[in-house]
Amino acid sequence: MIMHTCSEVISFARQLENESAGFYESLARKYAKDGDVFLSFAKENKKNIVQVERAYYGVISDAIEGCFAFEIDTAGYTFKTELAGDASYAGALSRAEEIEVKIVKFYSDAAEQSKALMADVPRNFTLVAKKRSNRISKLQSLR
Amino acid sequence: MALLEEPIKKVVELKNYINGEWVESRGENVDVVNPVTGKAIAKVPISTKEEIDAAVAAAQEAYPDWRRTAPVARARYLFRLKELLEENFEELSRIQTQEHGKTIDESRGETRRGIENVEVACGIPTLIQGPYSEDIAPGIDEWIIRQPLGVFGIIGPFNFPFMIPLWSAPYALATGNCVVIKPSSEVPNSQARLAELVDEAGFPPGVWNLVHGGRTVVNGMLDHPDIKGITFVGSTPTAKFIYERCGATGKRVIAQGGAKNYMVIMPDCDIRSTIPALMTSFFGNAGQRCLSGANLVVVGDDGFYNKLMDGVADTAAKIIIGSGLDESVQMGPVRDKDKKKRILGYIESGIQQGAKLRLDGRKALKIRGDWPDTCFLGPTILENVAPDTKCGSEEIFGPVMSVMRAKDLDEAIDMCNACSFANAHAIFTSKGKNAREFQYRVVSGNLGINIGIVAPMAWFPFSGAKESFFGVLHTQGQESIRFFTESKVVIQRWA
Repeated sequence: MIMHTCSEVISFARQLENESAGFYESLARKYAKDGDVFLSFAKENKKNIVQVERAYYGVISDAIEGCFAFEIDTAGYTFKTELAGDASYAGALSRAEEIEVKIVKFYSDAAEQSKALMADVPRNFTLVAKKRSNRISKLQSLR
Repeated sequence: MALLEEPIKKVVELKNYINGEWVESRGENVDVVNPVTGKAIAKVPISTKEEIDAAVAAAQEAYPDWRRTAPVARARYLFRLKELLEENFEELSRIQTQEHGKTIDESRGETRRGIENVEVACGIPTLIQGPYSEDIAPGIDEWIIRQPLGVFGIIGPFNFPFMIPLWSAPYALATGNCVVIKPSSEVPNSQARLAELVDEAGFPPGVWNLVHGGRTVVNGMLDHPDIKGITFVGSTPTAKFIYERCGATGKRVIAQGGAKNYMVIMPDCDIRSTIPALMTSFFGNAGQRCLSGANLVVVGDDGFYNKLMDGVADTAAKIIIGSGLDESVQMGPVRDKDKKKRILGYIESGIQQGAKLRLDGRKALKIRGDWPDTCFLGPTILENVAPDTKCGSEEIFGPVMSVMRAKDLDEAIDMCNACSFANAHAIFTSKGKNAREFQYRVVSGNLGINIGIVAPMAWFPFSGAKESFFGVLHTQGQESIRFFTESKVVIQRWA
């Protein structure tokens, strides 16, 4: 589905953060050894939602192209959060990396397209993309 | 994407807010209809003269104490209101969408713009300071004190039901005046909710009053000797009427009228970024903005014209229409069926007067969701519109783009200046010289350079000129502070 409006992009960001938070919470339950890391990711996701929403609600005004700001296809950023019952730890980490790559791409693309908005929205998309990008190396170190 | 939950779930019986109390009106009730569903969401009273008189009396009684409340203390009330507005931001926005039909992004934008005025008014301890000259002559000093005047009336329009009263009310209160607000009876819910938050913020009774209604309330304000001034936003004929009546009764007045904004497109513009700006300008809020683009003037040869218009028409044709609470929707309905009928009349007259219909918003209307088409209308593009036709010269106030051509910037500027309205003309260009010429020569209260909606931020005046504005000072920012205060000049000598 193609998204055009700020509202649906922010809602989609919220959905990605919530779904990936759920994924990390299940990883924490399943792989207690690195549970703290996964729980910290889930916690950070909730902060990301606050950060992105705060930026949006702070600058949305009828002067910007709120309903015409994006052309983003959700199909490019969807991911699976379910793991097979017999999934290995390495397999779970690979899935986590795939999720992060997709989410980084979403935030980066959204930042690029929202340059016409006031600075806070793309800046915060970029900041969240950077945070999630850092997770990839952290996930790799858990292998 | 999600269809957001409606905040108003059953028909609300609205009351007036007078002297800190919710008072039932003796006037007749009329339905407030959601233009998407066609269903009533509220019953609003058409209040009587006695009721507007009671509100003015309450405001007048509250005035002496409110005036003596220190500006910093008045600012604290406004800070509390600002906190409550933030806490209820989403509900306020959804109410606007429900009562008016605009998209949720547009409503949130409106809420934000309203709050920004409260934020600016919170700076009243410094905003109200007057200049001081020491030693204008030996031993003599001179300064200005800005003093409030009393009670002001605020008359709101239907197109920005929440925000526009906030262009005035926070400044009126911050400067020590009291207000009586009359929202549009077509869209009164967000002002009613705002008054509830004012009440929760703890403003003293009588400082902020809300009276629903129509002409009786407006006339009651205009003729009342205790009302010192009026701010109004609406159509030009009504703005003129209010301006004249305020002149006759000795009131200050800010009367903002209609518009017919020209968007001038130079061949050197960045088409990629111009098209979304034009979509917002012409079709945002379903074209029901006094800052909306109305006439698109394309400068340049046929090659540029065709390239631009292909992009504009293709993009406009894809605009998603539906309920504003559907997050994927880019354009909601117009406010009601009578307004739609009026817009349809303009489209018809345009065709009859020689315009070519490039995109017909009347036909093949694809509404996202299962809604009646009563108030929906798609984007319409008329090419070859002459400036002196009805479509080219009158305010349509709907999602209609009238396209014209000019051979060069000089001709485009002449077209802008020949227009009787002067609210928000704009140019799209990549050349500084074009931008400067346009800014220098075009008569327009607000003027855009690569901006489709020239909406001044809260700390700038919301300007306007010619038939778009009647008065001297404007709403918002410093000019509001001057409008709501009398400058008392003090000259002092201690020999």
